Amino acid sequence: MRAPDLSTTIAGIRMKNPLTVGSGTYGHHGVFGQFYPVETMGALVTKTIRSHRWPGNPPPRVHEVPSGLHSSVGIPCNDWDYFVAHDVPILKGLKVPIIQSVIGRTEDEYVEIVRRCSELGIFAGIELNLSCPNTKQGGVDFGYDPEASFHLVKRARDATKLPLIAKLAPDYSLLSRVAKSVEAAGADAISLVNAPRAMCIDYRTRKPIIGNRVGALSGTAIKPMAVYMVWEVYRAVRVPIFGMGGVTDYRDVIEFMAAGARAVAFGTINYVDPMALPRALEDLTTYLQENGIEDVNELVGAAHDDRDELLIPAENRLESEVPV
Amino acid sequence: MEQVFASVVFNRHLTGDYWLLEAEAPALAASLLPGQFVNVRIEGSAAPYLRRPFSVYRVSRDRRRLQIAYKVMGEGTGLMTSSIRENGRCDLIGPLGHGFSLPANAKRIAVVGRGIGIAALPTLADEAASRGIEVHAFLSARTRPNLVALDIFAEYAFPVVTHTDEARANALVTDALAALAQKVRFDAFYVCGSNRLARAVHALAQKQNVPAEIAMEQHMACGFGDCHGCVIAVNLRPSRGEKAFKEVCHYGPVFQTWEVVDASA
Repeated sequence: MRAPDLSTTIAGIRMKNPLTVGSGTYGHHGVFGQFYPVETMGALVTKTIRSHRWPGNPPPRVHEVPSGLHSSVGIPCNDWDYFVAHDVPILKGLKVPIIQSVIGRTEDEYVEIVRRCSELGIFAGIELNLSCPNTKQGGVDFGYDPEASFHLVKRARDATKLPLIAKLAPDYSLLSRVAKSVEAAGADAISLVNAPRAMCIDYRTRKPIIGNRVGALSGTAIKPMAVYMVWEVYRAVRVPIFGMGGVTDYRDVIEFMAAGARAVAFGTINYVDPMALPRALEDLTTYLQENGIEDVNELVGAAHDDRDELLIPAENRLESEVPV
Repeated sequence: MEQVFASVVFNRHLTGDYWLLEAEAPALAASLLPGQFVNVRIEGSAAPYLRRPFSVYRVSRDRRRLQIAYKVMGEGTGLMTSSIRENGRCDLIGPLGHGFSLPANAKRIAVVGRGIGIAALPTLADEAASRGIEVHAFLSARTRPNLVALDIFAEYAFPVVTHTDEARANALVTDALAALAQKVRFDAFYVCGSNRLARAVHALAQKQNVPAEIAMEQHMACGFGDCHGCVIAVNLRPSRGEKAFKEVCHYGPVFQTWEVVDASA
């Protein structure tokens, strides 16, 4: 049988296969490919950077929970000059599309880092990590607020010609509205889910376990929730989706793609089973062959049989709900 | 550093609360330096979710096998006792981190450990002994059976000073070390397993102007640098002042004592 076509294009970024990694879960200190060539994946999403130096959160930063990881690392970051001198030359040498993840505490910080990354001319796209409290507007995450996320993505859109990917955290109330907001503001793709907030308390001390007290939950434990979020956003928007949240193997890749993801990211599993992605790529190829699927993109949205019907009212709602 | 599916030679109770896992992993064992660690997973098992990092207890003379002494503390290590079986395999990543350094021309060193912290020291003692360096051991634990590696340190012929909490009449090992250090010159100190021991060893090292190293522990997710989860606060200068968070897996697990004693942010 002919080898299936694994390539896909998402937000204008051509990937030789739909597999990528969650920001901050692969590579460190400019070291990539410790276990397999980074070129194995369809695109590399790098650790989130800021416009300024940031120490990250106090230890302990990680705590194991059943089937998952509770953590609060706090996105530590070197200053920009260090990034340019140390990381950029290494990134330049990688033969894979690179999506640089960025974050800020204010709109201005986001715009500044987007502009700088854009000017480097080495990235295939920029991922906006919207899971940061909007300190100027009451501290709600940009990504939980349709209006704030619209304005932020709009300003980032004006600051770069690169494909923009808005990364959202799970949310049971406004997720579709936020997704439509960022789409309307010019995002070329949506990435979800970022790790949801979580807390663990030590029953002996009755105090939170990790240093930042509030952290996130990632790993297998969040997968069904993440698949649902992808499924819901797929019904609300037309831009393509990077799906992630507890992906472990090729079966999870298929699940996320069926829910609506065009590309799928391996995250926390990279810490545990660093060969998970290349193995999933092999297994996915076998699965496609065994099921007579010639193009991996046929998997996208397979779990929906009523998408067009649902999209129409969603599109209608868009007019009244998106702030401008 | 690499991932190895090592064949298990044995996995059995060692002494006290400790178990001993021996695995055949020639490439890993051959390149391992004293103080480096490995990150262990029960092959193919989803539980525990994360790997468990352990210092390497011993490397066989032919450098084909390595041993890990581990304390059975919770669910993860409990599962290790029941799921990693003789003739089976275990999933190892290593060698990881930066290990101990022995000063050139060192003639005599002291290793000071408490509890499971002692398990980080035999590989160093083996290396030192192979260079003809005298190794004096000062070991402390809650109970006598928990004094791991007593037999190993006894091989080096120098009296091993021990303390157990149950034998309250015992002097503290650090007092014994300080007393001996008045009489003979140590070229380096090494400590693992207790903050109190670390402070005492650090103070003695400063007084005598001798280098002192400490092997640190921290909860880890990956062990190979990617997650940035295992940081500790570190002094950037011996005089203290400026501090930074550094990953134990990448910059450690072995640090200079001045980097970590009284460094908590």
